[in-house]
Amino acid sequence: MQLKIKILFLLVASALFSGAAFAASFTASLDRDSIAVGESVTLSLAFEGAQPRTIPMPSVPGLQITQAGTSQFVNVVNGAMTATVTVTFNVTATQAGEFTIPALTADVSGQSLTSSPLKLSVAAAAAPTADAVNSGNEIAFMKLIFPKPRIYVGETAVARLELYLREDVQNLANFQLTSSPTEGFSAGKLVELQNQRRRVQVGNRAYTVIPLAVPLTAVRAGDVELGPFTANAVVVLPSENQGGNPFFRMFNQGEQRQVTLATEKVVVPSLPLPTADQPANFSGAVGDFSMTATAGPTTLTVGDPITMRVQIAGRGALDAITLPVQDSWQNFKTYPPTAKLETSDQFGFQGTKTFEEIVSPLNSDVHELPAFSFSFFNPDDGKFHTLTQPALPLTIKAAGATPLPTLAATKTSAPENQPPQDILPIKENLGALEKSATPLIASPNFLALQSLPVLALLTAIVWRKRADNLANNPRLRRQRAVAQVVAMGLNDLKKFAAENKPDEFFATLFRLLQEQLGERLDCPATAITEAIVPDHALLRTAPLALRTALHEQFQLCNQARYAPVRGSSELNSVATQFEKLLGELQNLKS
Amino acid sequence: MKIWLSILITLVCAGKILAADVAADFSAANKLYAEGKFSDAANAYEKIIQSGAQSPALWFNAGSAEFKAGHLGKAIAAYRQAELLAPRDAELRANLAFVRNQVQGATVRESSWQNWVGSLTLNEGTVLTAALFWLTLGIFTARQLRPALVPKLQGVTRILVVLTIFSATVLGLQAANHFSNGTAVVTVAEATARSGPFDEAQSAFTARDGSELSVLDQRDGWVQVANNAGKSGWLSTKLVSVLPGA
Repeated sequence: MQLKIKILFLLVASALFSGAAFAASFTASLDRDSIAVGESVTLSLAFEGAQPRTIPMPSVPGLQITQAGTSQFVNVVNGAMTATVTVTFNVTATQAGEFTIPALTADVSGQSLTSSPLKLSVAAAAAPTADAVNSGNEIAFMKLIFPKPRIYVGETAVARLELYLREDVQNLANFQLTSSPTEGFSAGKLVELQNQRRRVQVGNRAYTVIPLAVPLTAVRAGDVELGPFTANAVVVLPSENQGGNPFFRMFNQGEQRQVTLATEKVVVPSLPLPTADQPANFSGAVGDFSMTATAGPTTLTVGDPITMRVQIAGRGALDAITLPVQDSWQNFKTYPPTAKLETSDQFGFQGTKTFEEIVSPLNSDVHELPAFSFSFFNPDDGKFHTLTQPALPLTIKAAGATPLPTLAATKTSAPENQPPQDILPIKENLGALEKSATPLIASPNFLALQSLPVLALLTAIVWRKRADNLANNPRLRRQRAVAQVVAMGLNDLKKFAAENKPDEFFATLFRLLQEQLGERLDCPATAITEAIVPDHALLRTAPLALRTALHEQFQLCNQARYAPVRGSSELNSVATQFEKLLGELQNLKS
Repeated sequence: MKIWLSILITLVCAGKILAADVAADFSAANKLYAEGKFSDAANAYEKIIQSGAQSPALWFNAGSAEFKAGHLGKAIAAYRQAELLAPRDAELRANLAFVRNQVQGATVRESSWQNWVGSLTLNEGTVLTAALFWLTLGIFTARQLRPALVPKLQGVTRILVVLTIFSATVLGLQAANHFSNGTAVVTVAEATARSGPFDEAQSAFTARDGSELSVLDQRDGWVQVANNAGKSGWLSTKLVSVLPGA
């Protein structure tokens, strides 16, 4: 039903637009023409009487403009219908000043229509006065707190931005920082300090304080500025028309209210690092640090690499720390160090930075890895400190004919005994060429190949099962052995028949008869005689024809011992009958 | 038979001629580099790479030439391609670290586990795991065929099973890293990530030349990336070089 209404509406609207193309108009309007920094205003572009082909997207520096939505409505006045499409934008001021949203041009049903330019005054956001805060009238406000009276260049600090919400605020939503100037600072990401919310009394009202923190590093000397920070948020207050009825209070959804928040500007003097007493190898580290250094191996050949691992732990701008130049390493070739940073706080100011530097001795006269030192400036006491790792004894053997390891430089290597000033030289040898190909793990052929060991294992398991079954089943084993003996014996029978050797023929026939019957009746082959045919329970239940045939075969064998020699054709005939009899015996269920 | 032999000889000769051509082009590019014509050298290396040939040295030199030509992002991208082929090359690691230190602004770096599993190439990890897998199943097969060997192979079997499971786990991590955790390296002076995959979209954040960003998605010439602050946005693929994970 709803779909049908929509289709109907679209048909009506299309008809109206197509019919009223000649009367199309395009207007732009703002719902307010003066706001404060951080506040938003709605810009509406209305297309009356026609459908726009393109929506112009205004762009004004200092204003953040985002499309909010599109609406359509049909107006009927005295029987005349007009349809209007309205496209709305949210315009948020990010800085103070007088702004003009320029004339916008839109293609409306083939006509090029232009709107009038719009003016928007944006006043600087101002923090509420102390009186206003203490009066308890402020639903929400923010305070910016810088923890130090002064800061040194390169020093780190965490500024607190405290968001105060009055006790009657039921909920806070869409908190968005619209401006956070940090002139003279390098700022990190604003984060909420977990589990540090608290309630405080301000004037005659209680407020919930939500503390946020922004990590900062001073980057220049002089007065550095923080703020004013501005933000927008939506707060939910109890609805004023709920009355005293507890029933209605239970279903009260509250009243949403947009608030604009601003802090005062904080100006902090930023001091340059003192030049007096600055250590020669000071590389700009500011904070409070400790150092541990290890190196190995200590017994090696000239040109072999020694891996030096330096861990600098503590508090400060760890990310900016670099290994200092070590002037006493003239007898070593040094390579650019690699660094790994592990932080233990959410701002990245506390933790450990681990450097790994590869050095290699240039001659066998080297007896120690010189002392390693690292200097830093501690802003807490305003002094430089130098940490030193003592020299490490080394045992260096002459290289002899041993070629330099891969790490050693090529002939055009970078200047030695200097901190890395440049990249290492290019490689002279092309090396083995590789074709760009699918990784093996994604190659169907390679994956199919991996099924081979699985198949081999499965085959082995099946073979093992069968072997075990055979080993544990003597009857089966005998059955197979007899089958083999019978197969061979039948060949012998045919051979003896062809050669007309009745004695051997009947001896073999009798033996085969004993073997086959012994296997079927589960008794020793030597115990089988003609007398067993009527006696054995299994044979008593066998078909009469089979029993008769058995008798006949036994009779033939007995007669052969006394009867005259028979010819080959008769022996062949007996062999054929015997083969048939064996087949029937093998099918006999034991 | 003769025909197959002829085809084989032809293919081998063609391969050798191709390798010789690539080596000659490589030497010519090295010469341009030595003469200080870094942009020309970078183009020459790129031409060889586009022909389908690649080697760690080729990518390494391409990275060095790009760096000398002032292209941090392209240098990092080339070094990281070299790293995929030769992850334990100390000179490569040193150069990559040096170039990364020149990059301004925040950048996404590999985590320690990614570095760890990246110390073997994906193919090395695959071959190692496959070898252990074959060996383990071979031992199991031998145990089936010769039960008498079972007591003797008990210890070896356990060690091989543990090694195979460990190796397969590491390979799984490697593969996940390779196929899921792509990296986009910004190759222009400044790239503005947008809130959607079109030029008119709002700016989300800006990244400098050489910044490495995590790839979240790719669509029609655009790649969705995230920076180290967790902000995400869309960048045209013209502004970045997209690499697979290590």
